[in-house]
Amino acid sequence: MAVLEMNQINKTFGSGHKKVDALKKTDFQAERGELIAVIGPSGSGKSTFLTIAGGLLSPTSGDIFINEKNIASLNEKELSKVRLKEIGFILQASNLIPFLTVDKQMKLLDKVKKDNMNKQELEQLYEDLGITDLRNKYPSDLSGGERQRVAIAKALYSNPSIILADEPTASLDSDRAYEVMQLLRNETKNKKTTTIVVTHDIRLIEYCDKVYKMVDGVLKLHEQS
Amino acid sequence: MFLAWNEIQKNKLRFTLIIGVLMLVAYLVFFLSGLANGLASLNREAVDKWDASAIVLTEESDKSLVASTMTIDEAEAMEADKTAVLGQINAIARTDDQKANVSIFGIREDEFIMPEVSEGEAFSAGNEVIASDTIKEDGFALGDELELSSTDEKLTIVGFTEDARFNAAPVLYGDLGTFQRVKFGEAAEANEDQINGVVVRTDDISAVTDNSELEAIESETFIENLPGYTAQSLTLNFMIYFLFAISSVIVAIFLYVLTVQKISMFGVMKAQGIPSGYLARSVVAQTFILAAIGVAIGLILTLVTGAFLPAAVPVAFAIPTMLIYGVILVAVAIIGAVFSVLTIVKIDPLKAIGG
Repeated sequence: MAVLEMNQINKTFGSGHKKVDALKKTDFQAERGELIAVIGPSGSGKSTFLTIAGGLLSPTSGDIFINEKNIASLNEKELSKVRLKEIGFILQASNLIPFLTVDKQMKLLDKVKKDNMNKQELEQLYEDLGITDLRNKYPSDLSGGERQRVAIAKALYSNPSIILADEPTASLDSDRAYEVMQLLRNETKNKKTTTIVVTHDIRLIEYCDKVYKMVDGVLKLHEQS
Repeated sequence: MFLAWNEIQKNKLRFTLIIGVLMLVAYLVFFLSGLANGLASLNREAVDKWDASAIVLTEESDKSLVASTMTIDEAEAMEADKTAVLGQINAIARTDDQKANVSIFGIREDEFIMPEVSEGEAFSAGNEVIASDTIKEDGFALGDELELSSTDEKLTIVGFTEDARFNAAPVLYGDLGTFQRVKFGEAAEANEDQINGVVVRTDDISAVTDNSELEAIESETFIENLPGYTAQSLTLNFMIYFLFAISSVIVAIFLYVLTVQKISMFGVMKAQGIPSGYLARSVVAQTFILAAIGVAIGLILTLVTGAFLPAAVPVAFAIPTMLIYGVILVAVAIIGAVFSVLTIVKIDPLKAIGG
């Protein structure tokens, strides 16, 4: 059973001769425990794909199922609940709250959602990511790599079914980038989540189970390992 | 509350400044309310002291005590639980080196507007008076013999009473004879039935008198018609109401600026699925914390300032009124937060993540 399934998704922006087809007849499936990369040049529709998969944007036509629930026609409030429960975002710009310490970034999620990681699981996660010593620091005291690892922790903390990462290694040097990818891979395998990484960095694809390529709004399976 | 409080702790300077502004507004509101209250009691203390339901004056006096004249016979004809005759005249009282504007009340010792003596004793002979203790601040003392403007009569202070000012002047209470000698001089005996009005306690004000030349006026109406009273209290109250509006706008602007700065952060949180309602409640909680702290400090500051002010400044702090004003200030601050709440609700999470 697919965690995320897209059937014939179309997304059109604008109208008339300004009309842009950002996604064309996209089919996509992701299973539990898979780490999937979506690569392609900028402007190819990667981000649109990610925002539709993450329930931030509704498709113009087609169906999208998250754990067999069709979210294509939900309103913003219902989508917001789906995002909270099912999706963990790791964004290009750090998605950390500037005035909360690392620990409190997690605690914020406890305020709005149940079934997050318990204390032992969180300790283990901190250890896996090597951020145990950073728990009482503010984001402004962290380096770019540390911030990205905290962002991963935050995305995983809510036990989501799907992790969506938008250029998670963009601000990192190569060593750090590989380290982050390895972490994502480990967490995906350990927690049996589904991770989709959108990137234009083809060096990262060796960590992924499947690679899709996006060209002019058309998504194609590129490589399967 | 979680987000609100953590943000305040992290950005202490920023939020201290906002609290500071709210504190100053609250300080001003509380101080003006103290001033309004103080000026009001300056005018009305002696009337409040009567604890009366109404005062009967002549209809043609247009609610002015000093312009009203009637006779004791007219007073006797009135229907009320309790009545007290009252003669009143303004004068300047002076000793060798002090002088003060005073209001002389002529009353009967056995009627209910007779004041309680807090120091010295009650008047027992002609030309003895009980004075408002505020006259002590002008340098007068027990036993002083007062010369009066416009008459050769001299009055002696034999006692003091508290809270007895009428239309900003300390009251001197004497018997009716004393009052008539001051007012009419050599013609006093011919005018010994002349008084200005009758103070009454009754449940049915309309039934007090059926004399068409007389008019029973409720105490509150009478006070409002004291010269200058309404103009004064309206002015100060208007300033207070404007301050409420201003503080609401100030808070609205501050919070709006803060919220606009945080739009991308709110957007990221919304992208993660944190409900708008939670974020909105957080902003309201933050406003509440800021306003409550600001108002509390403003209140303390006002009371401290009040304790150090010279007695000549007519401030009198009525704690219940100040508490109500404090609650209103917090409430209008929260109304000011509504704009920010609307902004948060409208944030598109997609824009925040650059999609």
